[in-house]
Amino acid sequence: MRTLLAWIAGGLTSVVLTPVALADGWNMPVGVTAISRDIYSLHMIIFWICVVIGVIVFGAMFYSLFRYRHSRGAKAATFHEHTSVEVIWTAIPLLILVGMAVPATATLKNMYDTSEADLDIMVTGQQWRWRYEYLGEDVAFTSNLGTPREQINGTGEKGEYYLLEVDEPLVLPVGQKVRLLLTSDDVIHSWWVPDLAVKQDAIPGFVNENWVRIEEPGIYRGQCTELCGKDHAFMPVVVEAVKPERFDEWLAERKEAAAQEASSADREWAMDELMERGQQVYGSLCASCHQEDGQGIGNFPALAGNEAMLDDVDWHIDRVVNGVSGTAMASFRNTLSAVEIAAVVTYERNAWGNESGDSVQPSEIAERLADQGE
Amino acid sequence: MWQAIKSVLAAFLGVQKDARRREDFASNRPGTFIAAGLLVGLVFVLLVAFVAVLAAR
Ligand code: HEC
Ligand SMILES: [Cu+2]
Repeated sequence: MRTLLAWIAGGLTSVVLTPVALADGWNMPVGVTAISRDIYSLHMIIFWICVVIGVIVFGAMFYSLFRYRHSRGAKAATFHEHTSVEVIWTAIPLLILVGMAVPATATLKNMYDTSEADLDIMVTGQQWRWRYEYLGEDVAFTSNLGTPREQINGTGEKGEYYLLEVDEPLVLPVGQKVRLLLTSDDVIHSWWVPDLAVKQDAIPGFVNENWVRIEEPGIYRGQCTELCGKDHAFMPVVVEAVKPERFDEWLAERKEAAAQEASSADREWAMDELMERGQQVYGSLCASCHQEDGQGIGNFPALAGNEAMLDDVDWHIDRVVNGVSGTAMASFRNTLSAVEIAAVVTYERNAWGNESGDSVQPSEIAERLADQGE
Repeated sequence: MWQAIKSVLAAFLGVQKDARRREDFASNRPGTFIAAGLLVGLVFVLLVAFVAVLAAR
């Protein structure tokens, strides 16, 4: 009878828990790095230890409740202590805890070992996007939400990767040790990609370190996981892991594009070129606050029909380059190139019924940035 | 003193015989127990630090 009951209790528990533990989508992913696999197996081992303890403890409890109930004439025991039993039930949990701590600490030590990396990447959280800088490679870009506004506003059909897609993913080579240096420009963010088992805070004024060595090419998605303001849900992380040869090609392309962008600041830009580029920049970086139609919302001022802005180009450029300290209007000096700043300013001065006719040339901005840089 | 150390060790584990507890409380020298507590505490901290140093190597 006793053993039968224990078996029923144990059986029921595992029947309920096993599918939950193994079902896809309920459990944490195994991931694609050695560390993510270590963490997954730690998680499963500890989970099963908890299941076994739970079954034994609750099994014993329910069995005793049932077997020694008052209606069957059970009498309460009155002894005071039993030292050896007490020592045993103190020592066993102690051993279990130490047994779990040893492999967990070994994994933690491994996670903190950022030495001897093949590639260093600076990851900077900004309200509300991630900026990636390939240190020593002259390649840097921001990675903005790629989901179209209509899907967010509910006027369009939601895509498969709704809020988990970006315009430019972080591209990493597989098989290489990549060190991530995480920080933030404004508030605390957190960079999280479950398949890489990386979840690390990005804190202004601090640099946190972590590392990954991805084993399989693929696209891995994650999110900001520290509540960071209005668009917290709109700054996903997308990592594209590619073969090292492909990565070198990509890096060379990016370097070339950056050099071209820098040199294109020297030439004269036509109005419609600036407007087109400006609309892109505005859509990905400014519309979240100033709104697609330039009408602003709440504390974010309208730019359509904004007298102060339209009267004074210098003032306008200054707002974008330097931001307004103490407000949500950040400085875009390091985020945007001279071309992009010229384009977005031109766009704002000529969109939504603004008819200043001004076109701001990238060369003017470049000069200005150089002056201020000194 | 040895008596006090044994009682402190039992307290660290959280298990003590009732008879021993009565004996301890019959003594009117709390200073011995405080000293034993500080001593065993110090040894425990050093032990943990030692294990941590070993593990970090
Ligand atoms: C995080 C929200 C946010 C984003 C993103 C943002 N702004 Fe602003 N912007 C503000 C706020 C708030 C102000 C008002 C600052 C103040 O109080 O002076 C402002 C002010 C301005 C002004 C001055 C207008 C005025 O009346 O004060 C300009 C021009 C401007 N922003 C341009 C841009 C451009 C260009 C971008 C994109 C590259 C951008 N902003 C992105 C929040 C934002
Ligand atoms: Cu964030």
